[in-house]
Amino acid sequence: MSGTRPDEQEYHFDVVKWFAVAAVIYLVVGALVGDFIAWELAFPALNFDNQYLSFGRIRPLHTNAVIFAFGGCTLFATGYYIVQRTCQVPLWSTKMAWFTFWGWNAVIVGAVITFPLGLTQGKEYAELIWPLDILIAVVWLAFMGNFVMTIVNRNVSHIYVANWFFLGMMVMITYLHVVNSLAIPVDLTHSYSIYSGVHDAMIQWWWGHNAVGFFLTAGFLGIMYYFVPKQADRPVFSYRLSVLHFWALMFGYVWLGAHHLQYTALPDWAGSLGAAVSLAMIIPSWGGAINGVMTLSGAWNKLRDDYVLRFLIVSLAFYAMSTFEGPVMSIKTVNALSHYTDWTIGHVHSGALGWVAMVSIGAIYHIVTKLWHREMYSVSLVNTHFWIHTIGTIIYICAMWVSGIMQGLMWRATDEYGNLVYTFAESVSAMHPYYVLRSVGGVLVLIGALMMLYNVVQTIRGAKSPVAQAARV
Amino acid sequence: MNEVIDFFRSDWDAMTSTDWTGFWLLLVIAAIMVVIYVVTLRPSNRDKFEQYRDFVNHEQDRVWDRESNNERSK
Repeated sequence: MSGTRPDEQEYHFDVVKWFAVAAVIYLVVGALVGDFIAWELAFPALNFDNQYLSFGRIRPLHTNAVIFAFGGCTLFATGYYIVQRTCQVPLWSTKMAWFTFWGWNAVIVGAVITFPLGLTQGKEYAELIWPLDILIAVVWLAFMGNFVMTIVNRNVSHIYVANWFFLGMMVMITYLHVVNSLAIPVDLTHSYSIYSGVHDAMIQWWWGHNAVGFFLTAGFLGIMYYFVPKQADRPVFSYRLSVLHFWALMFGYVWLGAHHLQYTALPDWAGSLGAAVSLAMIIPSWGGAINGVMTLSGAWNKLRDDYVLRFLIVSLAFYAMSTFEGPVMSIKTVNALSHYTDWTIGHVHSGALGWVAMVSIGAIYHIVTKLWHREMYSVSLVNTHFWIHTIGTIIYICAMWVSGIMQGLMWRATDEYGNLVYTFAESVSAMHPYYVLRSVGGVLVLIGALMMLYNVVQTIRGAKSPVAQAARV
Repeated sequence: MNEVIDFFRSDWDAMTSTDWTGFWLLLVIAAIMVVIYVVTLRPSNRDKFEQYRDFVNHEQDRVWDRESNNERSK
Protein backbone atom coordinates (compact mmCIF):
# COMPACT_ATOMS: atom_id res chain seq x y z
CA MET A 1 0.00 0.00 0.00
CA SER A 2 2.79 2.33 -0.79
CA GLY A 3 4.38 4.04 -3.76
CA THR A 4 3.07 6.53 -6.24
CA ARG A 5 0.26 6.19 -8.70
CA PRO A 6 1.44 5.24 -12.16
CA ASP A 7 0.58 7.21 -15.23
CA GLU A 8 -2.01 5.71 -17.51
CA GLN A 9 0.78 4.33 -19.69
CA GLU A 10 2.30 2.42 -16.77
CA TYR A 11 -0.78 0.32 -16.15
CA HIS A 12 -0.51 -3.11 -17.73
CA PHE A 13 -3.40 -2.88 -20.11
CA ASP A 14 -2.01 -4.91 -23.03
CA VAL A 15 -3.11 -8.16 -21.46
CA VAL A 16 -6.53 -6.61 -20.81
CA LYS A 17 -6.80 -5.75 -24.51
CA TRP A 18 -5.91 -9.28 -25.60
CA PHE A 19 -8.35 -10.87 -23.19
CA ALA A 20 -11.11 -8.45 -24.31
CA VAL A 21 -10.59 -9.23 -28.00
CA ALA A 22 -10.38 -12.95 -27.24
CA ALA A 23 -13.68 -12.70 -25.35
CA VAL A 24 -15.42 -11.21 -28.40
CA ILE A 25 -14.03 -13.92 -30.67
CA TYR A 26 -15.14 -16.63 -28.24
CA LEU A 27 -18.60 -15.07 -28.03
CA VAL A 28 -18.92 -15.60 -31.77
CA VAL A 29 -17.53 -19.15 -31.56
CA GLY A 30 -19.70 -20.11 -28.59
CA ALA A 31 -22.85 -18.70 -30.20
CA LEU A 32 -22.03 -20.40 -33.51
CA VAL A 33 -21.54 -23.83 -31.93
CA GLY A 34 -24.59 -23.35 -29.69
CA ASP A 35 -26.82 -22.39 -32.57
CA PHE A 36 -25.53 -25.27 -34.69
CA ILE A 37 -26.49 -27.82 -32.05
CA ALA A 38 -29.83 -26.05 -31.57
CA TRP A 39 -30.56 -26.67 -35.27
CA GLU A 40 -29.32 -30.25 -34.81
CA LEU A 41 -31.98 -30.81 -32.16
CA ALA A 42 -34.65 -29.49 -34.52
CA PHE A 43 -33.27 -31.34 -37.55
CA PRO A 44 -31.13 -34.28 -36.37
CA ALA A 45 -29.91 -35.00 -39.91
CA LEU A 46 -27.65 -31.99 -39.51
CA ASN A 47 -25.16 -34.12 -37.60
CA PHE A 48 -24.43 -35.71 -41.01
CA ASP A 49 -23.92 -39.07 -39.25
CA ASN A 50 -20.54 -37.70 -38.23
CA GLN A 51 -19.52 -38.63 -34.71
CA TYR A 52 -17.46 -35.47 -34.32
CA LEU A 53 -20.53 -33.33 -35.00
CA SER A 54 -22.95 -35.27 -32.80
CA PHE A 55 -24.91 -33.32 -30.20
CA GLY A 56 -23.41 -35.20 -27.27
CA ARG A 57 -19.87 -34.24 -28.24
CA ILE A 58 -20.50 -30.69 -29.43
CA ARG A 59 -22.78 -29.59 -26.61
CA PRO A 60 -20.00 -29.46 -23.97
CA LEU A 61 -17.92 -27.57 -26.53
CA HIS A 62 -20.68 -24.93 -26.64
CA THR A 63 -21.08 -24.69 -22.86
CA ASN A 64 -17.33 -24.52 -22.27
CA ALA A 65 -16.89 -21.99 -25.08
CA VAL A 66 -19.47 -19.60 -23.70
CA ILE A 67 -18.80 -20.10 -19.99
CA PHE A 68 -15.06 -20.54 -19.77
CA ALA A 69 -13.80 -19.10 -23.05
CA PHE A 70 -16.10 -16.07 -23.45
CA GLY A 71 -17.05 -15.65 -19.79
CA GLY A 72 -13.57 -16.50 -18.55
CA CYS A 73 -11.77 -14.11 -20.90
CA THR A 74 -14.25 -11.38 -19.95
CA LEU A 75 -13.52 -11.99 -16.27
CA PHE A 76 -9.76 -11.92 -16.83
CA ALA A 77 -9.98 -8.73 -18.91
CA THR A 78 -12.27 -6.87 -16.52
CA GLY A 79 -10.58 -8.26 -13.41
CA TYR A 80 -7.15 -7.05 -14.50
CA TYR A 81 -8.64 -3.73 -15.61
CA ILE A 82 -10.70 -3.03 -12.51
CA VAL A 83 -8.05 -4.02 -9.99
CA GLN A 84 -5.52 -1.67 -11.56
CA ARG A 85 -7.92 1.23 -11.87
CA THR A 86 -9.42 0.94 -8.39
CA CYS A 87 -6.11 0.22 -6.65
CA GLN A 88 -4.26 2.79 -8.78
CA VAL A 89 -1.29 0.53 -9.20
CA PRO A 90 -0.04 -1.63 -12.10
CA LEU A 91 -0.48 -5.37 -11.99
CA TRP A 92 1.87 -7.06 -9.56
CA SER A 93 3.30 -9.31 -12.29
CA THR A 94 2.96 -8.75 -16.02
CA LYS A 95 4.58 -12.11 -16.76
CA MET A 96 2.07 -13.90 -14.60
CA ALA A 97 -0.76 -12.06 -16.36
CA TRP A 98 0.54 -13.18 -19.76
CA PHE A 99 0.92 -16.71 -18.39
CA THR A 100 -2.78 -16.66 -17.53
CA PHE A 101 -3.62 -15.46 -21.04
CA TRP A 102 -1.72 -18.21 -22.83
CA GLY A 103 -2.57 -20.82 -20.21
CA TRP A 104 -6.30 -20.10 -20.36
CA ASN A 105 -6.24 -20.19 -24.15
CA ALA A 106 -4.33 -23.49 -24.03
CA VAL A 107 -7.21 -24.89 -21.94
CA ILE A 108 -9.68 -23.67 -24.57
CA VAL A 109 -7.66 -25.23 -27.39
CA GLY A 110 -7.59 -28.44 -25.34
CA ALA A 111 -11.39 -28.33 -25.10
CA VAL A 112 -11.74 -27.80 -28.85
CA ILE A 113 -9.60 -30.90 -29.48
CA THR A 114 -10.89 -33.25 -26.79
CA PHE A 115 -14.66 -32.74 -26.85
CA PRO A 116 -15.26 -33.66 -30.51
CA LEU A 117 -13.07 -36.73 -29.89
CA GLY A 118 -15.43 -37.73 -27.10
CA LEU A 119 -12.84 -37.31 -24.35
CA THR A 120 -14.77 -36.15 -21.30
CA GLN A 121 -15.22 -36.81 -17.61
CA GLY A 122 -18.98 -36.63 -18.06
CA LYS A 123 -19.45 -34.07 -15.27
CA GLU A 124 -21.54 -31.11 -16.33
CA TYR A 125 -19.55 -27.86 -16.68
CA ALA A 126 -16.51 -29.90 -15.60
CA GLU A 127 -16.17 -32.16 -18.62
CA LEU A 128 -12.52 -31.48 -19.34
CA ILE A 129 -10.10 -34.35 -18.84
CA TRP A 130 -7.84 -34.38 -15.81
CA PRO A 131 -4.64 -32.88 -17.32
CA LEU A 132 -6.67 -29.86 -18.44
CA ASP A 133 -8.27 -29.67 -14.98
CA ILE A 134 -4.79 -29.32 -13.50
CA LEU A 135 -3.89 -26.62 -16.02
CA ILE A 136 -7.08 -24.74 -15.13
CA ALA A 137 -6.16 -24.87 -11.44
CA VAL A 138 -2.63 -23.58 -12.09
CA VAL A 139 -3.79 -20.73 -14.33
CA TRP A 140 -6.57 -19.80 -11.94
CA LEU A 141 -4.19 -19.69 -8.98
CA ALA A 142 -1.85 -17.46 -11.00
CA PHE A 143 -4.81 -15.14 -11.70
CA MET A 144 -5.75 -15.06 -8.03
CA GLY A 145 -2.16 -14.60 -6.84
CA ASN A 146 -1.59 -11.71 -9.22
CA PHE A 147 -4.92 -10.11 -8.28
CA VAL A 148 -4.30 -10.43 -4.54
CA MET A 149 -0.75 -9.06 -4.75
CA THR A 150 -1.95 -6.12 -6.83
CA ILE A 151 -4.44 -5.32 -4.09
CA VAL A 152 -1.72 -5.70 -1.46
CA ASN A 153 0.39 -3.14 -3.34
CA ARG A 154 -2.52 -0.71 -3.85
CA ASN A 155 -2.12 3.04 -3.61
CA VAL A 156 -5.47 3.69 -1.96
CA SER A 157 -6.63 2.52 1.43
CA HIS A 158 -10.08 1.30 0.40
CA ILE A 159 -10.64 -1.96 -1.44
CA TYR A 160 -13.57 -1.24 -3.74
CA VAL A 161 -16.52 -3.65 -3.59
CA ALA A 162 -15.97 -4.88 -7.17
CA ASN A 163 -12.63 -6.32 -6.06
CA TRP A 164 -14.35 -8.13 -3.20
CA PHE A 165 -16.68 -9.82 -5.65
CA PHE A 166 -13.73 -10.86 -7.81
CA LEU A 167 -11.85 -12.15 -4.76
CA GLY A 168 -14.88 -14.12 -3.59
CA MET A 169 -15.15 -15.69 -7.03
CA MET A 170 -11.47 -16.61 -7.11
CA VAL A 171 -11.39 -18.21 -3.68
CA MET A 172 -14.60 -20.16 -4.17
CA ILE A 173 -13.90 -21.33 -7.72
CA THR A 174 -10.48 -22.63 -6.64
CA TYR A 175 -12.09 -24.60 -3.84
CA LEU A 176 -15.00 -25.84 -5.95
CA HIS A 177 -12.94 -26.76 -9.00
CA VAL A 178 -10.31 -28.68 -7.06
CA VAL A 179 -12.73 -30.63 -4.89
CA ASN A 180 -15.10 -31.47 -7.75
CA SER A 181 -12.25 -32.54 -10.04
CA LEU A 182 -10.54 -34.93 -7.63
CA ALA A 183 -10.07 -38.11 -9.64
CA ILE A 184 -7.81 -41.09 -10.05
CA PRO A 185 -6.17 -41.04 -13.50
CA VAL A 186 -6.17 -44.27 -15.49
CA ASP A 187 -4.23 -42.92 -18.44
CA LEU A 188 -3.57 -39.52 -19.98
CA THR A 189 -7.14 -39.00 -21.09
CA HIS A 190 -9.23 -41.04 -18.68
CA SER A 191 -9.87 -40.96 -14.97
CA TYR A 192 -12.38 -41.99 -12.35
CA SER A 193 -13.94 -39.55 -9.90
CA ILE A 194 -13.00 -40.32 -6.31
CA TYR A 195 -16.68 -39.97 -5.43
CA SER A 196 -19.40 -42.44 -6.22
CA GLY A 197 -23.18 -42.69 -6.20
CA VAL A 198 -25.15 -39.93 -4.58
CA HIS A 199 -21.99 -38.34 -3.16
CA ASP A 200 -20.69 -37.88 -6.68
CA ALA A 201 -24.02 -36.34 -7.69
CA MET A 202 -24.02 -33.98 -4.72
CA ILE A 203 -20.42 -32.86 -5.28
CA GLN A 204 -21.16 -32.42 -8.99
CA TRP A 205 -24.12 -30.13 -8.35
CA TRP A 206 -22.42 -28.37 -5.50
CA TRP A 207 -19.89 -27.42 -8.18
CA GLY A 208 -22.47 -27.07 -10.96
CA HIS A 209 -24.64 -24.52 -9.24
CA ASN A 210 -21.70 -22.64 -7.80
CA ALA A 211 -20.08 -22.39 -11.23
CA VAL A 212 -23.21 -20.32 -11.88
CA GLY A 213 -23.14 -18.65 -8.47
CA PHE A 214 -19.51 -17.67 -8.30
CA PHE A 215 -18.07 -17.82 -11.83
CA LEU A 216 -21.12 -16.47 -13.66
CA THR A 217 -22.57 -14.30 -10.91
CA ALA A 218 -20.05 -13.06 -8.34
CA GLY A 219 -17.42 -12.12 -10.93
CA PHE A 220 -19.97 -10.45 -13.18
CA LEU A 221 -21.41 -8.54 -10.23
CA GLY A 222 -17.89 -7.21 -9.76
CA ILE A 223 -18.13 -6.05 -13.36
CA MET A 224 -21.52 -4.50 -12.69
CA TYR A 225 -20.37 -2.59 -9.60
CA TYR A 226 -17.51 -1.02 -11.55
CA PHE A 227 -18.93 -0.43 -15.02
CA VAL A 228 -22.51 0.69 -14.24
CA PRO A 229 -21.50 3.69 -12.08
CA LYS A 230 -18.56 4.39 -14.38
CA GLN A 231 -20.57 4.33 -17.60
CA ALA A 232 -23.47 6.22 -16.01
CA ASP A 233 -21.09 8.66 -14.29
CA ARG A 234 -23.24 8.28 -11.20
CA PRO A 235 -22.50 7.07 -7.66
CA VAL A 236 -23.67 3.57 -6.74
CA PHE A 237 -27.21 3.82 -5.34
CA SER A 238 -26.21 2.31 -1.99
CA TYR A 239 -22.75 1.16 -0.99
CA ARG A 240 -24.17 -0.50 2.12
CA LEU A 241 -26.44 -2.58 -0.04
CA SER A 242 -23.46 -3.68 -2.13
CA VAL A 243 -21.67 -4.86 1.03
CA LEU A 244 -24.72 -6.83 2.14
CA HIS A 245 -25.11 -8.17 -1.38
CA PHE A 246 -21.54 -9.47 -1.29
CA TRP A 247 -21.67 -11.24 2.06
CA ALA A 248 -25.14 -12.71 1.53
CA LEU A 249 -23.99 -14.08 -1.81
CA MET A 250 -20.81 -15.56 -0.35
CA PHE A 251 -22.56 -17.23 2.57
CA GLY A 252 -25.73 -18.26 0.80
CA TYR A 253 -24.82 -19.56 -2.62
CA VAL A 254 -22.83 -22.61 -1.50
CA TRP A 255 -25.94 -24.25 -0.06
CA LEU A 256 -28.02 -24.22 -3.23
CA GLY A 257 -26.60 -27.14 -5.24
CA ALA A 258 -28.86 -29.72 -3.64
CA HIS A 259 -31.92 -28.22 -5.34
CA HIS A 260 -30.67 -29.79 -8.59
CA LEU A 261 -31.27 -33.22 -7.08
CA GLN A 262 -34.88 -33.10 -5.92
CA TYR A 263 -36.63 -36.47 -6.13
CA THR A 264 -33.38 -38.41 -6.39
CA ALA A 265 -31.39 -40.59 -4.00
CA LEU A 266 -30.26 -37.44 -2.18
CA PRO A 267 -31.81 -37.20 1.31
CA ASP A 268 -35.05 -35.24 1.24
CA TRP A 269 -33.87 -32.73 3.84
CA ALA A 270 -30.87 -31.77 1.71
CA GLY A 271 -33.13 -30.88 -1.23
CA SER A 272 -35.42 -28.91 1.09
CA LEU A 273 -32.45 -27.01 2.52
CA GLY A 274 -31.25 -26.22 -1.00
CA ALA A 275 -34.71 -24.91 -1.93
CA ALA A 276 -35.09 -22.89 1.29
CA VAL A 277 -31.73 -21.14 0.87
CA SER A 278 -32.51 -20.60 -2.83
CA LEU A 279 -35.66 -18.70 -1.86
CA ALA A 280 -33.73 -16.72 0.75
CA MET A 281 -31.24 -15.72 -1.94
CA ILE A 282 -33.91 -13.77 -3.80
CA ILE A 283 -33.44 -10.98 -1.24
CA PRO A 284 -29.74 -10.23 -1.81
CA SER A 285 -30.01 -10.91 -5.54
CA TRP A 286 -32.84 -8.45 -5.98
CA GLY A 287 -31.12 -6.05 -3.62
CA GLY A 288 -28.09 -6.10 -5.90
CA ALA A 289 -30.14 -5.77 -9.08
CA ILE A 290 -32.09 -2.84 -7.64
CA ASN A 291 -28.83 -1.29 -6.45
CA GLY A 292 -27.47 -1.41 -9.98
CA VAL A 293 -30.60 -0.15 -11.70
CA MET A 294 -31.24 2.61 -9.14
CA THR A 295 -27.71 3.89 -9.75
CA LEU A 296 -29.37 5.62 -12.69
CA SER A 297 -31.82 7.33 -10.34
CA GLY A 298 -32.15 10.93 -11.46
CA ALA A 299 -30.42 10.24 -14.75
CA TRP A 300 -32.73 7.90 -16.60
CA ASN A 301 -32.35 10.01 -19.70
CA LYS A 302 -28.90 8.49 -20.15
CA LEU A 303 -30.60 5.30 -21.30
CA ARG A 304 -31.93 7.13 -24.33
CA ASP A 305 -28.61 7.70 -26.03
CA ASP A 306 -26.06 5.55 -24.24
CA TYR A 307 -26.35 2.09 -25.75
CA VAL A 308 -23.54 0.65 -23.66
CA LEU A 309 -25.47 1.63 -20.56
CA ARG A 310 -28.54 -0.06 -22.02
CA PHE A 311 -26.66 -3.34 -22.21
CA LEU A 312 -25.62 -2.97 -18.56
CA ILE A 313 -29.04 -2.00 -17.21
CA VAL A 314 -31.05 -4.54 -19.21
CA SER A 315 -28.61 -7.21 -18.03
CA LEU A 316 -29.68 -6.35 -14.48
CA ALA A 317 -33.33 -6.84 -15.41
CA PHE A 318 -32.45 -10.33 -16.67
CA TYR A 319 -30.38 -10.91 -13.50
CA ALA A 320 -33.40 -10.07 -11.36
CA MET A 321 -35.67 -12.22 -13.48
CA SER A 322 -33.46 -15.31 -13.49
CA THR A 323 -32.63 -15.02 -9.79
CA PHE A 324 -36.36 -15.09 -9.10
CA GLU A 325 -37.11 -17.88 -11.54
CA GLY A 326 -34.33 -20.15 -10.22
CA PRO A 327 -35.58 -20.26 -6.61
CA VAL A 328 -39.15 -20.79 -7.81
CA MET A 329 -37.95 -23.77 -9.89
CA SER A 330 -36.15 -25.19 -6.85
CA ILE A 331 -39.42 -25.54 -4.91
CA LYS A 332 -40.32 -29.22 -4.98
CA THR A 333 -43.83 -28.71 -6.36
CA VAL A 334 -42.55 -26.64 -9.27
CA ASN A 335 -39.48 -28.83 -9.67
CA ALA A 336 -41.70 -31.87 -10.15
CA LEU A 337 -42.92 -30.22 -13.34
CA SER A 338 -39.81 -28.36 -14.50
CA HIS A 339 -36.97 -30.79 -13.85
CA TYR A 340 -35.42 -32.48 -16.90
CA THR A 341 -37.49 -30.25 -19.21
CA ASP A 342 -36.54 -27.39 -21.51
CA TRP A 343 -37.74 -24.94 -18.88
CA THR A 344 -34.34 -25.44 -17.25
CA ILE A 345 -32.63 -24.63 -20.55
CA GLY A 346 -34.73 -21.47 -20.84
CA HIS A 347 -33.84 -20.48 -17.29
CA VAL A 348 -30.13 -21.02 -17.86
CA HIS A 349 -30.19 -18.95 -21.04
CA SER A 350 -32.11 -16.07 -19.48
CA GLY A 351 -29.17 -15.89 -17.07
CA ALA A 352 -26.48 -16.61 -19.66
CA LEU A 353 -27.69 -14.54 -22.63
CA GLY A 354 -29.59 -11.94 -20.65
CA TRP A 355 -27.43 -11.35 -17.60
CA VAL A 356 -23.88 -12.62 -18.23
CA ALA A 357 -23.59 -11.89 -21.94
CA MET A 358 -25.18 -8.45 -21.80
CA VAL A 359 -23.19 -7.18 -18.82
CA SER A 360 -20.04 -8.57 -20.48
CA ILE A 361 -20.82 -6.96 -23.82
CA GLY A 362 -21.46 -3.61 -22.14
CA ALA A 363 -18.20 -3.86 -20.19
CA ILE A 364 -16.20 -4.83 -23.28
CA TYR A 365 -17.59 -1.94 -25.33
CA HIS A 366 -16.62 0.35 -22.45
CA ILE A 367 -13.11 -1.12 -22.19
CA VAL A 368 -12.50 -0.89 -25.93
CA THR A 369 -13.32 2.82 -26.00
CA LYS A 370 -11.14 3.43 -22.94
CA LEU A 371 -8.10 1.39 -23.90
CA TRP A 372 -7.91 2.34 -27.55
CA HIS A 373 -8.80 5.96 -26.70
CA ARG A 374 -11.50 6.29 -29.33
CA GLU A 375 -15.23 6.00 -29.74
CA MET A 376 -16.78 2.86 -31.19
CA TYR A 377 -16.54 2.66 -34.98
CA SER A 378 -20.31 2.56 -35.39
CA VAL A 379 -22.91 3.65 -32.87
CA SER A 380 -25.72 2.28 -34.99
CA LEU A 381 -24.09 -1.16 -34.95
CA VAL A 382 -23.91 -1.05 -31.14
CA ASN A 383 -27.56 -0.04 -31.09
CA THR A 384 -28.54 -2.77 -33.55
CA HIS A 385 -26.51 -5.27 -31.53
CA PHE A 386 -28.46 -4.32 -28.41
CA TRP A 387 -31.84 -4.83 -30.00
CA ILE A 388 -30.99 -7.95 -31.98
CA HIS A 389 -29.40 -9.58 -28.92
CA THR A 390 -32.35 -8.67 -26.69
CA ILE A 391 -34.95 -9.92 -29.19
CA GLY A 392 -32.95 -13.11 -29.85
CA THR A 393 -32.70 -13.80 -26.14
CA ILE A 394 -36.41 -13.25 -25.55
CA ILE A 395 -37.37 -15.51 -28.46
CA TYR A 396 -35.02 -18.18 -27.13
CA ILE A 397 -36.22 -18.19 -23.55
CA CYS A 398 -39.92 -17.87 -24.40
CA ALA A 399 -39.64 -20.85 -26.76
CA MET A 400 -37.98 -22.89 -24.03
CA TRP A 401 -40.52 -21.87 -21.40
CA VAL A 402 -43.44 -23.01 -23.55
CA SER A 403 -41.61 -26.12 -24.67
CA GLY A 404 -40.50 -27.02 -21.15
CA ILE A 405 -43.87 -26.58 -19.48
CA MET A 406 -45.52 -28.52 -22.30
CA GLN A 407 -42.97 -31.32 -21.87
CA GLY A 408 -43.58 -31.48 -18.13
CA LEU A 409 -47.35 -31.58 -18.59
CA MET A 410 -47.15 -34.26 -21.32
CA TRP A 411 -44.84 -36.46 -19.25
CA ARG A 412 -47.10 -36.39 -16.19
CA ALA A 413 -50.45 -36.68 -18.00
CA THR A 414 -52.30 -39.88 -17.11
CA ASP A 415 -55.68 -41.22 -18.10
CA GLU A 416 -58.42 -42.41 -15.78
CA TYR A 417 -56.67 -45.78 -15.41
CA GLY A 418 -53.34 -44.23 -14.48
CA ASN A 419 -51.68 -44.95 -17.82
CA LEU A 420 -49.45 -42.35 -19.45
CA VAL A 421 -51.36 -40.42 -22.08
CA TYR A 422 -48.33 -39.61 -24.23
CA THR A 423 -45.28 -41.60 -25.25
CA PHE A 424 -41.91 -39.96 -24.86
CA ALA A 425 -41.55 -39.82 -28.65
CA GLU A 426 -44.80 -37.84 -28.89
CA SER A 427 -43.42 -35.27 -26.46
CA VAL A 428 -40.25 -35.00 -28.55
CA SER A 429 -42.30 -34.48 -31.68
CA ALA A 430 -44.37 -31.77 -29.99
CA MET A 431 -41.18 -29.85 -29.23
CA HIS A 432 -40.19 -29.42 -32.86
CA PRO A 433 -41.66 -25.94 -33.52
CA TYR A 434 -40.15 -24.60 -30.32
CA TYR A 435 -36.74 -26.03 -31.17
CA VAL A 436 -36.89 -24.24 -34.51
CA LEU A 437 -37.94 -21.03 -32.75
CA ARG A 438 -35.08 -21.41 -30.25
CA SER A 439 -32.64 -21.82 -33.13
CA VAL A 440 -33.95 -18.65 -34.76
CA GLY A 441 -33.36 -16.79 -31.48
CA GLY A 442 -29.84 -18.20 -31.48
CA VAL A 443 -29.24 -16.95 -35.01
CA LEU A 444 -30.12 -13.42 -33.89
CA VAL A 445 -27.70 -13.65 -30.97
CA LEU A 446 -25.01 -14.95 -33.33
CA ILE A 447 -25.59 -12.12 -35.82
CA GLY A 448 -25.31 -9.64 -32.95
CA ALA A 449 -22.01 -11.20 -31.85
CA LEU A 450 -20.65 -10.97 -35.40
CA MET A 451 -21.66 -7.29 -35.52
CA MET A 452 -19.81 -6.72 -32.27
CA LEU A 453 -16.67 -8.44 -33.56
CA TYR A 454 -16.74 -6.35 -36.73
CA ASN A 455 -17.34 -3.14 -34.77
CA VAL A 456 -14.56 -3.88 -32.27
CA VAL A 457 -12.07 -4.79 -35.02
CA GLN A 458 -12.90 -1.63 -36.96
CA THR A 459 -12.56 0.45 -33.80
CA ILE A 460 -9.17 -1.06 -33.02
CA ARG A 461 -8.02 -0.55 -36.59
CA GLY A 462 -8.93 3.08 -36.18
CA ALA A 463 -11.33 3.09 -39.09
CA LYS A 464 -13.23 6.31 -39.50
CA SER A 465 -16.55 6.14 -37.78
CA PRO A 466 -19.69 7.08 -39.70
CA VAL A 467 -21.17 8.45 -36.49
CA ALA A 468 -19.43 8.87 -33.15
CA GLN A 469 -20.60 8.72 -29.55
CA ALA A 470 -21.38 5.12 -28.73
CA ALA A 471 -19.78 5.04 -25.36
CA ARG A 472 -18.76 7.98 -23.34
CA VAL A 473 -15.35 8.10 -21.67
CA MET B 1 -45.54 -32.86 8.56
CA ASN B 2 -48.87 -31.21 9.24
CA GLU B 3 -47.83 -29.45 12.45
CA VAL B 4 -45.27 -26.66 12.42
CA ILE B 5 -43.51 -28.30 15.35
CA ASP B 6 -42.85 -31.34 13.17
CA PHE B 7 -40.43 -29.31 11.13
CA PHE B 8 -38.22 -28.94 14.21
CA ARG B 9 -38.31 -32.58 15.31
CA SER B 10 -35.25 -34.65 14.54
CA ASP B 11 -33.62 -37.91 15.54
CA TRP B 12 -30.75 -36.22 17.34
CA ASP B 13 -29.18 -39.54 18.33
CA ALA B 14 -28.81 -40.45 14.69
CA MET B 15 -26.76 -37.33 13.92
CA THR B 16 -23.29 -38.18 12.65
CA SER B 17 -20.23 -35.99 13.19
CA THR B 18 -20.71 -34.70 9.63
CA ASP B 19 -24.29 -33.74 10.45
CA TRP B 20 -23.19 -31.88 13.57
CA THR B 21 -20.41 -30.09 11.66
CA GLY B 22 -22.92 -28.91 9.06
CA PHE B 23 -25.42 -27.96 11.74
CA TRP B 24 -22.99 -25.76 13.65
CA LEU B 25 -21.56 -24.32 10.46
CA LEU B 26 -25.05 -23.26 9.42
CA LEU B 27 -25.72 -21.64 12.80
CA VAL B 28 -22.36 -19.82 12.81
CA ILE B 29 -22.89 -18.49 9.29
CA ALA B 30 -26.43 -17.39 10.14
CA ALA B 31 -25.11 -15.56 13.21
CA ILE B 32 -22.37 -13.86 11.18
CA MET B 33 -24.97 -12.76 8.63
CA VAL B 34 -27.08 -11.20 11.39
CA VAL B 35 -24.01 -9.32 12.65
CA ILE B 36 -23.20 -8.10 9.13
CA TYR B 37 -26.78 -6.90 8.60
CA VAL B 38 -26.74 -5.03 11.93
CA VAL B 39 -23.33 -3.42 11.37
CA THR B 40 -24.06 -2.46 7.78
CA LEU B 41 -27.55 -1.06 8.30
CA ARG B 42 -26.84 0.73 11.57
CA PRO B 43 -27.62 4.41 10.95
CA SER B 44 -24.45 5.57 12.68
CA ASN B 45 -22.39 3.58 10.17
CA ARG B 46 -24.11 5.06 7.16
CA ASP B 47 -21.45 7.61 6.22
CA LYS B 48 -18.66 5.15 6.90
CA PHE B 49 -19.93 2.99 4.04
CA GLU B 50 -21.59 5.49 1.77
CA GLN B 51 -18.46 7.64 1.40
CA TYR B 52 -17.37 5.08 -1.22
CA ARG B 53 -20.49 5.34 -3.37
CA ASP B 54 -18.71 7.40 -6.00
CA PHE B 55 -15.36 5.71 -5.65
CA VAL B 56 -14.95 4.74 -9.31
CA ASN B 57 -15.83 8.19 -10.60
CA HIS B 58 -13.46 10.01 -8.31
CA GLU B 59 -10.31 8.10 -9.15
CA GLN B 60 -8.75 11.14 -10.76
CA ASP B 61 -9.89 13.49 -8.00
CA ARG B 62 -8.08 11.49 -5.38
CA VAL B 63 -4.93 11.34 -7.47
CA TRP B 64 -5.00 15.10 -7.99
CA ASP B 65 -5.66 15.69 -4.29
CA ARG B 66 -2.75 13.52 -3.29
CA GLU B 67 -0.42 15.06 -5.85
CA SER B 68 -1.33 18.57 -4.80
CA ASN B 69 -0.81 17.61 -1.15
CA ASN B 70 2.60 16.22 -2.06
CA GLU B 71 3.42 19.43 -3.90
CA ARG B 72 2.37 21.50 -0.90
CA SER B 73 4.44 19.40 1.49
CA LYS B 74 7.61 19.96 -0.53
